[in-house]
Amino acid sequence: MAKSSSMQNYSVDLPIFEGPLDLLLFLIKKDELNIYDIPISKITKDFLAYLEVIKELRLTSAGDFVLMAATLMKIKARMLLPQSPQEGEEIDDPRNELVNMLLEYRRFKEAAEHLGDREHTQNRMYYRIPAGSEGEFEVGAADLLADVKLYDIMLTFQYLLQNYEAPYSHEVVLEEVSTTEQGAYLKMLLGQKEELWFSQIIQELGSRLVVIVTFLSILELIRNREILMEQNELFSDLRIRRGERFGKA
Amino acid sequence: MEKHELMRITEALLIATPEPLTEARFLQCLDDGSRSEISLAALIEALNLEYKSSQRAFKIFNVANGYQLVTLSEYETYVKRLYTKSSRLRLSQAALETLAIITYRQPISRIDIEAIRGVSSDSPLRTLLERRLIEIRGRDDGPGRALLYRTTTDFLQYFGLNTLQDLPKLREAQELIQDEDENLV
Repeated sequence: MAKSSSMQNYSVDLPIFEGPLDLLLFLIKKDELNIYDIPISKITKDFLAYLEVIKELRLTSAGDFVLMAATLMKIKARMLLPQSPQEGEEIDDPRNELVNMLLEYRRFKEAAEHLGDREHTQNRMYYRIPAGSEGEFEVGAADLLADVKLYDIMLTFQYLLQNYEAPYSHEVVLEEVSTTEQGAYLKMLLGQKEELWFSQIIQELGSRLVVIVTFLSILELIRNREILMEQNELFSDLRIRRGERFGKA
Repeated sequence: MEKHELMRITEALLIATPEPLTEARFLQCLDDGSRSEISLAALIEALNLEYKSSQRAFKIFNVANGYQLVTLSEYETYVKRLYTKSSRLRLSQAALETLAIITYRQPISRIDIEAIRGVSSDSPLRTLLERRLIEIRGRDDGPGRALLYRTTTDFLQYFGLNTLQDLPKLREAQELIQDEDENLV
């Protein structure tokens, strides 16, 4: 997991083309081709030449370009085959699907340009941000909870886990830990205290595995509304409190 | 209450509000029965005229269904030095494309976005989530129950939009082709 993400960091994105469709649109525009009547063998040739560069650069999106190259060659092959339409049926142009994809993509590319222009204009104006609105306010628990999204919780968990160092130990022991057990442990702690902080809980746990199992048990308890989890801002500590069904489940 | 007094109240609320001030919120804050006389929009207009004639460096902007104070773009050079570089990073082309698709097709899954872009869109989606321009809103009913994405209020604010309807309609494919043909002639 860690390996693959560090691999991705080395890859680059070509500045001009966002993907195979973008490249095709470029090739069409460059040679002033009719999008409804694309000379498929010419465009396949151009595309393949470009594909070599992409492979060379080891782009993350190389796979998508290879897939498009295969699609182009398939279309090319189908166009060489004689078609025998049933009576009254129109001849189905093998390029149709691709043309529709290109047109659809171009609509959104244009919309993206419009958003980019707006961003540019808007970035030159600064909104008034009252002091303290960045989470330093004394706010009610309900306000805090309102803005915590599952995505934030997952990010924070990932972050805390990265910074978590398991106590160094030589012993190899079989760890027996279950979400039920950790859930019961959490509820026991919450029975004694009004609130718990996630960073404190994990400090008292023996290993990464136990931390993960404990986190899973927290998610389970949230789902059952036995506990609540709150957060001030992204990556900040997670506060755990009793939920509406605490001790009732 | 006099108009002048209402304008000053509006101004105070705008200085203090952390998010766009909506008409509903404005009325809640008044809470003294004087609400129906002058609309918030009229007060804002009067304030903006006042700011303009006295040459203030800010104005009130209609955004995300409410109103907020913004500095005039003429002063960008100075104001931006207040901020660290990263806070004003512009979105990449990939992020803008992904966002455009979500904007017009929301709620939409990653698979459907990728089908339109023809390229993997994990990383732009992550950027957009982190910058809170989009959020996860439920799951698809289809097989796989894919996560669905939609734009946020921060999105409206970021692009200076009052509602999504302020954006131009997606052009029909036919219009695009005609444009192209005209450009070639």
